[in-house]
Amino acid sequence: MRILRLILVFFVVTFFTFFLLDNSPGDPAAARAGLNATPEAIEQIREEMGLNRPFLTRYFDWLGGAVQLDFGDSNVVTGFTSWRLIQNALPKTIELMVLAEVLAIGISVPLAVASARRPGSWIDRVSSGGAFGLLALPAFVLGIYLSFFFGVKLGWFPTIVEDLPSIFRNPIGNLHQMFLPSLTLALNLVAVYLRLLRSDMIDTLQEDYVMLAQARGMSERRIMWRHVLRPSSLNLTTAIGLNIAALIGGAFIIEVLFAINGIGRLTIISVFLEDYSTVAAIVALLTVAYVAANFAVDILYSILDPRIRHDNT
Amino acid sequence: MTTPDEKPQKRSFGVIFWLSAGWIAALVFVALFEELLPIRDPEALGIRTREVAKFEGPGFNAFFGGDGQGRDMFARVLTGIRPALILSLVVTVLASIIGTIVGATAGYLRGTVDGAIAILIDMALAFPGLVLLIAVRASFGNSLTVFIILFTLSGIPSYARIVRGASLSLAEREFVDAAVAMGASRTRVLFKELIPNLVLPVLSFAFLGFALVILTEGALAFIGLSMDRLTWGQLIAEGTNDIADHGHVALIPATTMFLTILAFNLVGDGIRKLWSPREVATERKLITLGDAADDQTGGEALSIRNLATVLHTPDGDVRAVDDVSLSVMPGEALGVVGESGSGKTMILRSIVGAFALSSVTRSGTVNVGGIDMLRSDAETVRSVLGNQIGMVSQNPLNALNPVRRIETQIIEPMVVHGGLTKSAARQRALELLESVGIPAPEQRLREYPHQLSGGMRQRITIAIALANEPDLLLADEPTTALDVTVQDQILRLLSEQQRARQMAMLLVTHDLAVVKGFTDRVAIVYAGEVVEIGPTSEIFANPRHQYTLALMRSMPNLDLPSHSELQTIEGTPPSLIDLPDGCRFAARCPAAQPTCEQTNPSPVTDGEHTYRCHFPAETGVALSGAVS
Amino acid sequence: MAGSGEVHLRDDAILRVRDLVVEFPAKKKQVVHAVSGISFDIQQGETLGIVGESGCGKTTTGRAIMQLEKATGGSIELRDNDLTKSSGDQLRNLRRRMQMIFQDPVSSLNPSRRVRDIVREGLEIWGAPTGDFTEDRIAEVMDAVGLDADGVGERRPHEFSGGQCQRICIARALVMEPEVLILDEPVSALDVSVQAQILNLLEQLKQSFGLTMVFISHDLAVVKNISDRVMVMYLGKVCEVAEPDALYSGPKHPYSRALLASIPGHHLDLPPASELISGELPSPLDPPSGCRFRTRCPLATERCATEEPELRKVAVGQFVACHHAE
Repeated sequence: MRILRLILVFFVVTFFTFFLLDNSPGDPAAARAGLNATPEAIEQIREEMGLNRPFLTRYFDWLGGAVQLDFGDSNVVTGFTSWRLIQNALPKTIELMVLAEVLAIGISVPLAVASARRPGSWIDRVSSGGAFGLLALPAFVLGIYLSFFFGVKLGWFPTIVEDLPSIFRNPIGNLHQMFLPSLTLALNLVAVYLRLLRSDMIDTLQEDYVMLAQARGMSERRIMWRHVLRPSSLNLTTAIGLNIAALIGGAFIIEVLFAINGIGRLTIISVFLEDYSTVAAIVALLTVAYVAANFAVDILYSILDPRIRHDNT
Repeated sequence: MTTPDEKPQKRSFGVIFWLSAGWIAALVFVALFEELLPIRDPEALGIRTREVAKFEGPGFNAFFGGDGQGRDMFARVLTGIRPALILSLVVTVLASIIGTIVGATAGYLRGTVDGAIAILIDMALAFPGLVLLIAVRASFGNSLTVFIILFTLSGIPSYARIVRGASLSLAEREFVDAAVAMGASRTRVLFKELIPNLVLPVLSFAFLGFALVILTEGALAFIGLSMDRLTWGQLIAEGTNDIADHGHVALIPATTMFLTILAFNLVGDGIRKLWSPREVATERKLITLGDAADDQTGGEALSIRNLATVLHTPDGDVRAVDDVSLSVMPGEALGVVGESGSGKTMILRSIVGAFALSSVTRSGTVNVGGIDMLRSDAETVRSVLGNQIGMVSQNPLNALNPVRRIETQIIEPMVVHGGLTKSAARQRALELLESVGIPAPEQRLREYPHQLSGGMRQRITIAIALANEPDLLLADEPTTALDVTVQDQILRLLSEQQRARQMAMLLVTHDLAVVKGFTDRVAIVYAGEVVEIGPTSEIFANPRHQYTLALMRSMPNLDLPSHSELQTIEGTPPSLIDLPDGCRFAARCPAAQPTCEQTNPSPVTDGEHTYRCHFPAETGVALSGAVS
Repeated sequence: MAGSGEVHLRDDAILRVRDLVVEFPAKKKQVVHAVSGISFDIQQGETLGIVGESGCGKTTTGRAIMQLEKATGGSIELRDNDLTKSSGDQLRNLRRRMQMIFQDPVSSLNPSRRVRDIVREGLEIWGAPTGDFTEDRIAEVMDAVGLDADGVGERRPHEFSGGQCQRICIARALVMEPEVLILDEPVSALDVSVQAQILNLLEQLKQSFGLTMVFISHDLAVVKNISDRVMVMYLGKVCEVAEPDALYSGPKHPYSRALLASIPGHHLDLPPASELISGELPSPLDPPSGCRFRTRCPLATERCATEEPELRKVAVGQFVACHHAE
């Protein structure tokens, strides 16, 4: 059922995008033909590109190609297919998102445990207040603050990502450049995760089984990590799934801010240059990524909660 | 169940809320009267007017300094207010109204309508909206109207989701059934019963949504997809290029936007607290006052002297347990009986020191096996808890951790406190499960709590409590949540185990009938005090406290014919926050005299029987109507 | 039944339920057999107690009478009008002639409305004239349930204790002048002392308003106290129907006997409950064939697995669905 729904998402989103791009004011044939082309030449290119066929035919044609990763040629960067452009950009975006997610979970979980354990303590006040502030900070504003402080004032990290070395060959050089962008992207998530997990843990702390664990003389650390964390992390898992969309959007902004040549910048450039085959390819790709990520979250969810696991079997 | 009836709570919003509201009011003022304010032309170039220098720093001449073309940043930031507010306001109003109607309809009608709407919401929320906005914006231009339409469309699903969730849970509430039973039509239920209860949640969410619109517009402007007028996002985008040398050009509009979003979030949060006031921001502390009583232990498994427990809650100090003294010998079962909110459960909690989230002050003495539970170090207390005390709680559905296997839960105390290896503990776990009457224990060990019935779960909780051979068993309403045939089994099991292992047992319950067959002595608790304590047979034959007597007579009794009139206790118990000076039962007592309202009676001991009452009932009056 | 059968039905009933079946869809195309073919009736001014443990279908039965759950089969007749065959305005009209009180009094009241508006709601739905007549009626009903209309009318539900909320619920139902009042565990959420207040109130109202009630509860002592006739249910079936004093002094169905023997501190002449019932409640997804109690019954024989016992008369006013009961 859930899988069907996700597949449906893929079709609706790609169809919708294809439709909108098709009705955009820009003319891909004119763009391909160049500035000085005659109307006849444009018409000929249009014929060659198959733009005169019915809309549905073109959609399914495109879909058929998309399955084989054939999204057509970029009509802006001559000699490159859209897929080739994406291939160049994709690793950086993926790295950015994975680093951000890891950082976000790594920061928010210990903080939430410490805060929920002593609500009202200084660590709780500071982290809750900080999270509230972070929620009000758009990624591009936060990024400006961070790069102004760590980049310009302190000079610890570069404010622009240039010639990014591969993370496998030169991990330190890579992470040095990617730290500020990942942190910027992560901090917004930290705010969401921290607040959610903290409040769920506080709820769980009032459950009888936690009181009984205390009454059995279990140490506080054991109670927090073994008894409370896992049953409290169900909403967090859902939030991770729901936030994948926000994460993708956030990554776009970060790429512009830190000049990372990833999918986000590619999208924006393609939109401005009316390279619609590339835009359509990116949307299809992101939809697949989104569907896959949500699928992974579902699996994680059923691992965390045996009640769901048994429902499905 | 231990706090008295909730009272309407008036909470003030606090300084930060009003500061935020003030900030928003100031923005609205500027947006309304922008033309009348004495500010410079935001587009006037410094090179022409010679008023503001290129990259002039913030100062008296230009409060926010000048930008790269000598334009007055103060004027530019103020000009950005109007489009931000108009866009957010229109979008928020449209999206919240449409979203509420869609969400409430889905949540109330359920079925296929709900299914379809839920899928649509899921899809709309799920997809990276920003990507779509980027992809399609080119098609529509960049006027304010286009932005309003696009933002409203992408905002509706969030509102619909929130409202749908809230309506689903509201529709479960019985007042909806009650309206249907009165013959209310669907439309009436939707608009009269559901939507009024959604106003506050939607309003508080709307403030967050308002901020989100400002934020998203900024993000779009930042990547070059701006509106056709000057906005904060554009200012920030322009400023970033010069951030290294002239930070103020980007930082000032960025900070203005941050403060604005923060203000809206804070106001929304303040409203949210009106309808879900559950945040407890006080630090949780467990305090002990006073010295231990000079206790010569006579071999009691548990001895409590003058125990007083105060819960510090946002509404005031709750005197949950007051001047309670009692003791239990090994092999003895003591019943603790009281109504909800009487403090009976808090006596147990005070022994083990486990209080959900409030700060608590305890005074007096609690002695378990010769160890002072209030004043010993944490390590010692944990060791007593783990080795000498076993506890069973009220709701078997809640007593086991839903995400851990039975095996993990049952061997934990044996491994942590009993010093057993995992395999030895597992062996013992099998024996324990067998002894509490669980069939196929091997299989049960591998299962999770939700796979077992309520009765089975309570048996497992008992097995865990018995794991380390405790000397004292604390049972907090162990059968209240169970059916009567299962209750009988569980009570028998507890009693058998208690006798076989010569444990002391504290059996807390609201049901007088339960203590009768299963305890040696009974303590009756009212408003935090033990008002009467003595041997079970003696209490049932000769209740002396007026409350005990009234309680017995108000219980429906199987020995009386159908339609017998029950004796009632009028009124309700006093609030534990604001207790009367005199006898705590005086206001409801049929035998009360003026003395009762002035002084709280001290305990009177008559043989093994102790009670707090100025005018005790005659001996031998229990029967007319009492539980037999 | 444990049991079906209709020998216990009478001619002059105002509410008659025949062969009521309520089933809910469950996962994997299974069906929850909540209520499986039960029949009963109520006479004018009578209180019928329905008693049983969780999962016996008592609450579903109450909700099905009001058509808050759709009946899968059978008929529910209020003075010859079949509710299961009604819909739309006709159903709404029939519903208002019956009213229901729920277990959780706090959740039964809309938190955003004032008490007076809550009590008035039924009149408002049915277009009663506003003004003195309506206000007098509200004051009268609130007085009858022991609430001071002027003192509490303008306040909201959260300002009241559970017992007071239950009084408000009763007032809201009474204002509709129902022919039948269905009470689903109305005192289970209340403390003993408050419970006695509500039970006494219901007895008073029964006298003064001539109320006809269906009183659903898991508490045998409470049911005995308030009922004129008691119906014992187990796993969607009727086990026994009898007058309370007869049922409690001489329960005939093995399940009734087990139930009564389980009450702590009872003085009935019964063996220990452990000898009368064994094992666990079977799943309502797959109930036992024949008599549904047979898997836990000490008297069960092969016949019980193949042949479902019908209700039969064992004494005046006492009916049992068991092959072996005497």
